[in-house]
Amino acid sequence: MTDQQALLPDSEPDVAADPRHSLRAPGALRHLAGATSFWMTLVILGLIALFSLISPDHAFFQLSNFQDMALDVSETMVLALGMTFILGAGELDLSIGANLLLASVLAGQTIVNLAGSPAQVVAGVYPHEGPAIAAGVAVGIISGMVFGAVNGLLVTTLRISSFIVTLGTMGIGLGISYVVSNGVNVAYVPRDLQLNFGVNRLLDLIPLLTIVALAVAAVLWYLLSATRFGLRTLAIGSSREAAVRAGIPARRHAFTLFVLMGALAGVDGVLDLARFGTTNVGGHQTDALGAIAATVIGGTSLFGGVASIGGAMIGSLLPTVLGTGLVILGVATFYQLIVVGVILIIAVYVDQRRRNSLN
Amino acid sequence: MVNEAADMTPADVVIEAQGITKSFGHVQALRGASLQVRAGEILALIGDNGAGKSTLTKILCGALVPDSGELVFMGQRTRLQSIGHAHELGVETVYQDLAQAPDLTVAENMFLGREPLRTGLGRLFGTLARGRMQRETAEALGRLGISLPSLRVPIRQLSGGQRQAVAVARAAMWASRAILMDEPTAALGTKQTRIVYRTMRSAAARGLAVVVISHDIPRMLKLAHRLAIMRHGVVIATLAAADTNLTEVISLMLGTQADPAGEDYLDD
Repeated sequence: MTDQQALLPDSEPDVAADPRHSLRAPGALRHLAGATSFWMTLVILGLIALFSLISPDHAFFQLSNFQDMALDVSETMVLALGMTFILGAGELDLSIGANLLLASVLAGQTIVNLAGSPAQVVAGVYPHEGPAIAAGVAVGIISGMVFGAVNGLLVTTLRISSFIVTLGTMGIGLGISYVVSNGVNVAYVPRDLQLNFGVNRLLDLIPLLTIVALAVAAVLWYLLSATRFGLRTLAIGSSREAAVRAGIPARRHAFTLFVLMGALAGVDGVLDLARFGTTNVGGHQTDALGAIAATVIGGTSLFGGVASIGGAMIGSLLPTVLGTGLVILGVATFYQLIVVGVILIIAVYVDQRRRNSLN
Repeated sequence: MVNEAADMTPADVVIEAQGITKSFGHVQALRGASLQVRAGEILALIGDNGAGKSTLTKILCGALVPDSGELVFMGQRTRLQSIGHAHELGVETVYQDLAQAPDLTVAENMFLGREPLRTGLGRLFGTLARGRMQRETAEALGRLGISLPSLRVPIRQLSGGQRQAVAVARAAMWASRAILMDEPTAALGTKQTRIVYRTMRSAAARGLAVVVISHDIPRMLKLAHRLAIMRHGVVIATLAAADTNLTEVISLMLGTQADPAGEDYLDD
């Protein structure tokens, strides 16, 4: 060991530490991720301007239209916010539409059954309306969490990929929803739920549903960007092996994320029930597409490790703005699905290219 | 066969492995390997491919559980359960394949799994003490003379050498007893290799035990205090670096005296 000194010269000017230098501003990837939502904002503002200009009588650029769109966007956003965590951790949840539907069916049936006797309910009389709605909300959210917990358990204990697990539970969830509802929408949900909450607005301006969605967004933004939970979510998505080696309980964490996603689907089921005053048994097959598209075009990586709550919020605007714009222009609304699908594929392709170029 | 473990004072022994065996299916990776790791020394683990170096290291760091044999940490017989358990004992590992989360920043990686939280209400919400993470990361890297363009960039944007430097700095920051390194310089250039070696030396000077797997025997003869030579799942000899030479190490490692294969190895 006599020549250790000679072997390892202590002066290496090229690696000299410079703390000021080391604490420089955010790097290029963060800029790019920021740029994704920045460009998406421009695209959506452009679409709004375009639809406003070319729609007959500027029907698109009306307060009432924006309020209607806000309801749609709010529902998409709640799912996209949860999906941001799921994708950020490198997982996937295709079952959220089925989860949402089951939650809304169970919440609706709970409310209708508890609010009064069958005869009273049919007559529109609800002697126990308040407690019934409270119970229905709880049932909806718990149903969502249980659904999510089943997903989480299957993914973490059987170690089947979440793509397959949630594809399976999507079918199971839809099937159970149809069995429970007999394929018929829940009727006689108290109108108060819709009028006082579902379509009500704060100061007659901002829909209450939108306020709920924004509140959820604020909480989840903090959770993702400022807390240990958020950091570990992205660590698992970035490199599961590294997270495990660092002592992070990756499986337990993934389970928690699926329960969180499920809870949000449950909340969204309740919002959906409140908004329409009934369930929508045939209308949630494409919820996962919308939420995943919104999340990915907002800059969250389908491959995990990179996630943006702000991006998911902006991305949630796109399907609705497109769909509404096309309807106002007299184009069949079916085209919206086609466009969203195409945009999702493009967004994932761009994400993939960026990943490869950085490795 | 030289084995000078007998004249050690037990207090210096940080980790002791006794008669460790481990099989993977029909493959017997370890057949009764024994090793003593001492505070303040660099111990090089030398052996041909398949000799059991990586398996032994994984057992010492808690990643694998041995089939039989004893592990003694700081004089305490210990059944090492997990990597987290090893961390609690002050044993950190640097992996060959850059075990980092590439999308997280340098500071986030340094504290991964041991993130400091803010005090008060912030602790309740699990809020990260990011200022502290940045500051302590800058200090830890500065101590080792590692300079990076920024601590706020994702690790993905750093070179392989810079990433390994961060991995070594991370281990040095958290280890209180021992650092295990599985070929830490395999993917590195000359300059970054020097940083890693210097870090190993400064860690040993701080009183940590440093175990390093390496194929660079000439370098290990200069850098390490002792060389443990493995063959067929057993540590066949432990030599003081000052008392041996390349030829002896290679012939022990390959199990033959003056074997032509040894000459081939020298040419590499």
